[in-house]
Formats: sequence, structure tokens, C-alpha cells
Amino acid sequence: MRSALLLVKIGWRNLWRNPRGTLLTASALGLGLALLLISLGLLDGGHEQTIADGVRLGPGHVVIQAKGYQDSGSDELLLPAQVVSGIEGFLQTAEMKKLVRGVSPRLLATGLLSSSANSAGVRIMGVIPQDEPAVSFIPQRVVEGTYLSDDRPSGVVIGAELARELEVKIGSRVVLMTQALRQPGIETKNGAGEEMQSTLLRVSGIFRTGLGAVDANIIQLPLPAAQTLLGLPDGQVTQVALLLQQEGDSAMVARALRKQLTGGTVEVLTWRESIPMLAQILGLDHAFNYIMNGVILAMVGLGILNTILMRVLERRYEFGVCKALGLRPGQLAVMVIGESLALTAISLALGLALGLSVEHYFATSGLDLRWIFKTDLPSALVLDPILYSRLSSNRIIWSVSIVFAMATIISFYPALKAARTELPDALKGL
Amino acid sequence: MVLAEWAVELKEVRKTYRTGPIDVPALRGVSLQIAAGEFAAVAGPSGSGKTTLLNIIGGLDRADAGEVWVAGQNLQLLSSGELAHLRLQRIGFVFQTYNLLPVLSALENAEFTLLLQGVPAHKRREKVEKLFSEVGLAGLEDRRPAELSGGQQQRVAVARAMVTEPALILADEPTANLDSATAIALLDVMEHLNRVTGTTFIFSTHDPQVMERAHRFIRLRDGQITSDETRDRQAAGVAAKGDAV
Repeated sequence: MRSALLLVKIGWRNLWRNPRGTLLTASALGLGLALLLISLGLLDGGHEQTIADGVRLGPGHVVIQAKGYQDSGSDELLLPAQVVSGIEGFLQTAEMKKLVRGVSPRLLATGLLSSSANSAGVRIMGVIPQDEPAVSFIPQRVVEGTYLSDDRPSGVVIGAELARELEVKIGSRVVLMTQALRQPGIETKNGAGEEMQSTLLRVSGIFRTGLGAVDANIIQLPLPAAQTLLGLPDGQVTQVALLLQQEGDSAMVARALRKQLTGGTVEVLTWRESIPMLAQILGLDHAFNYIMNGVILAMVGLGILNTILMRVLERRYEFGVCKALGLRPGQLAVMVIGESLALTAISLALGLALGLSVEHYFATSGLDLRWIFKTDLPSALVLDPILYSRLSSNRIIWSVSIVFAMATIISFYPALKAARTELPDALKGL
Repeated sequence: MVLAEWAVELKEVRKTYRTGPIDVPALRGVSLQIAAGEFAAVAGPSGSGKTTLLNIIGGLDRADAGEVWVAGQNLQLLSSGELAHLRLQRIGFVFQTYNLLPVLSALENAEFTLLLQGVPAHKRREKVEKLFSEVGLAGLEDRRPAELSGGQQQRVAVARAMVTEPALILADEPTANLDSATAIALLDVMEHLNRVTGTTFIFSTHDPQVMERAHRFIRLRDGQITSDETRDRQAAGVAAKGDAV
């Protein structure tokens, strides 16, 4: 133990025989760790933002809908009123209230929206005006007029692209035409079903999300108006969308709902299941980022290996002396590994200081992507042009562990070289 | 436990180095016995095999043929680890170029081998300080090798070799890099330690002063012993002192 301490002491002092070289090497490894922390922070922040935007434009973190809707997309698959009230009741329990931020029942259908100037195919979302803002992104993105309210039952909000195409503005009248829905085996209200229905609406708000497909196709109107138009009994909806306090609870909440909603008439999906493409894109992005980080770390690692190896080779004579004095090969290896670990400790301190400082800046002030793209952002998953870094303590521990493990593994080869110093050639300087 | 008759005994030791396609014989059947407590010099021209002989006796190199006995052990039969253990416990080395570890202080260099032996701190300090005062290094304990003169560095090397109280000290041209006065002072130290502790000293040398001071003088040429002369201890000392004057 005493001799191991001496070997570590020798290793530490050896580092400072060439302070400039040591600091340069430590900076290279530290920079590798800093880049890893910064890129992981931006990646996780970007993904968190993308998921938040994706679920708020789509079906929320968790969605409950009629069984088969996800695969068929058939608007005729509806949730019965008693199922909806059952869901709402369950979500009122104390345990669920802590986890759920917003609940919004929605009725979805397709239709044709016409103005005096033009017509366009649209995706109809019948929503409860006071519930939808807690779940959806659209109410917050109203740039003209106001969002829906119960005192304007014939109001409609439309995207900016659609407004431009239809040449309408706030207060303009539009006609929404659609085919009445009919649930298989159930006679619809007023005998409606598979008949073209139409209603006159007034544009109360225009929203802009930045996503062309949304701004040109989606319209929202009060749920009662949509149900009347589609000829559905009160309370029937396509889905109930849930926004949670934390994305990480999605699977747990979905499990609890599946357990509650037995009978096989509904499907409960997390956002990963309801928006599989988003999950795949994020997975792909993760994989690509891991590969890039792996390449950066491998390059830094090779640089470190070269430096430590050079340090070992230029001290071959010294190792020969140590061996001649009775130092065992294993002890020589410990000395070199001790030196490498001391170098790694300095590198980690530098890397953490730099990486966490930059990460903190991006976490508070954000990275403005408009600075990179110069003009407006292209259609992308990230709707907010300012990207905020999010770095969890687990990520920091993981990154430090990876760099530490890499540096330790790298030091084994020079340590082996030192341990294999051949006497008496080393003493002759051969 | 078998008591060693000789501190060092070599029987028909041969060693050949291969340099590319050429075999270069370094030792050609060397037989030699050195008793415990001897103060012996091995001399000869460059390439005569002096360093090879010391390396083989010290377990730094292995003979191709023959037997090498040190402290009662046949080195030819020992593993690398066992040789390292023997070097640590029984043999001290003094090199031509001192070979102190530059990052350690004089005291830390001297106690290096004691640390490897696991000797507790207070005993290490006690032993090193005693030796330092004997070799004239008192007060220089905290200096790094770069802050010491050549003679002082070599004294630290001698202290490092002596501190474990080895049975044998091998010194490869210990005065080669020292001026005449410093060399004499170092020889005084080594001879004093030999006389007081009974440690066997074998050193290779070109230096006439060292040759004069040796109690036994072995001459090598082309890997063979050409003369082996034992001198009276007092006579060797007197001759050397006369030369020094």
C-alpha cells in the first residue's frame, strides 16, 4: 500500500516534469468531455422540445381512442360517451391528478372549408375550448383574433396558410362541409349518416405554428358544433388526449389507464406508439449523435494514447533503473496507470468546468438557431427557434464515466509497455 | 537454510550477444569466487565484458551457459519475479550516471527501495538520515537531483544502494563522471561502508584511483579473466592515499 502511494506520487510528479505538455493533453481530453456534455445537453434539450411540440400538435403524451383507430384511421371509430365519462372520472383520482396536466376530448374528421374566394380540404378538430389549451399548442399560436370560446359556438380557428388560400380574415364567414359519421350498428341522431352536412362558421382566430402542413390543413371548432355537424350523439368523441406533467410518466399512465379500461373496446397509446415516426426520428438522431460522440472520443483517445505512450517510451531508461532496483513489472504498470489517472482527473476537472459552463449558458439563454440558419427556420420538428440545453445529472455521471473508462483503458497499453521494459537493454538506452 | 560459501560464485559463465547476423561473445567461460566483505574491482578495456559480468551477477541479464550463484541462490534457476525480489532484498546498484529518479527528493530517492520493501516511515527516515550523515549529505535531504552536484548525486545513489543493507553492492564505473577529488571522496565513503558493514562491493572501472583502492583486482580482456590479484587491505589503502597526495 505504501509502495503504491509512492508510485502514485511519482506518477503525479512526473506529470509536472513537462507542465505545458500535461496541460495540453489534459485540455484535449477535457475538451472531448466538454463537447460530449454540450452536445448531449443540446441533444436532450432539443429532443425534449421536439417531443413537447410534437405531442402538443398531435395526440398528447397519452391518447385513448377506439380500438383499431391507430391502424385504420377511420373517423367512424368513436369512443362511446360512457367510456369518456369513465376516463374523466378516473383522471380525477388524486394519484392521476398529480401526473396529468391537461385532458382534452376531441372529435376528428375531414371536410371541405369554403370561402367566397376558394375551397380547401381540411382536418376538422372538434374540441372543448376551455380544455384544449392545456393540451394543444394551437391555442397559444393564435396570431390574429382570439381562440374559441363557449360564447361563440359557431367560431372556428384556422391556420395562417389556410386563411391565405381562402382569402379570409377575422370575422369572415366560411362554410364547412363534411360527410356525417355513422357508427357501425348504431343509428345516428336525426337519422343522419353518410349524408353531406354543412354549417356556416365565422373565423374567430388565425394561428401560425410554423409547420406548413398544420397551418394549411387544421381547423378547430367547438366540440358541440362538430358533433352536430357530424350527426353524433352528445359525448361521442374520437379520442381523449392527455398532456402529462412529465414525459417520462407516459408509459406508467398508459399502463394505469389500460388496467382501468378493460373490455377491449379502447386502445391506450403513449406518444411513442401514436406518433411512431417522431419516436423513430429521435431514436435515429440519438444513434447518430452517439456515433459522432464516439468518433470525437476515439480521436481524443488516440491523441491521449500517443501522448502517454511517448511519455513512457522516453522514460524507458528510468523504468529500467526502477526495475533494476527491484520494482516488479506490475508495480511499474501501476505507476504508469497512476500517472494516466492523475492526468485524467485534471482533464475531467477542466472538461467539467468548461462543459458545464457552456451548457449552463445554453440552458438559460438558449442557442438561437436563427443565428445559424440566418433566415426563418426551415420546416422542422423544432418549432421554437431557440434551443435550450437540458442535461440531467445521470447524463453528467454517464459522460464522466465514459471518458474516465476510456482514459483508463487507454493507459493499459503504455502500462503494459512499461511493465515489459527489458533489462539490461533499457539501461543501455537500447 | 544453506549458508553461502561465497558471496558470488561464477562457474564457466558464457554470454554472447547477437548483433544482426554477427555473434559477439561478451563472456567466454568466466569462473570467479568472491567472498563476503570483499572490495573488488573489475577492470579492462571497453568491450572486455565488465558491464556484462556485473549485469549477470546482479540478475539484470542472464548467462547463456554456466552457473551464477549469488547469496546462495543459482540465478539461472530464478524467474524474473524472483530475480526482482533478490535484487530488492540482497543487491544494491550504483550506476555510472547516478540514475536517480528526477521527480523525487534526495531523501525519497534513497528510501525508494525501503518503501518497496514495506519498511515503515519512521524506520526509513532513521536509516536514510544516518546514512546521509555518513556519506556527507546531511541537510540536502529535500533537494531534487537537478539541485545536486554530480558527486552529491552519486552519494545519494550509494545511500540508495546501501540503505537496505544488501549483501552485495554492484557499482558500474561509479567514478566515471566525477572529478578526481570527488571520486576519492566517494571511494572513501564506499570503503568506509565496506569496512563498517561488511557489505561486498564489486565495481567495474577504468579509473586508476579505483583500481589502486581495490583489495582485489580482477582484469578482464575479451571476455576472459586475464589476472586476479588480491592485495592486502591496508596496503591498498596506503597506496591509494599516497597517490592522492
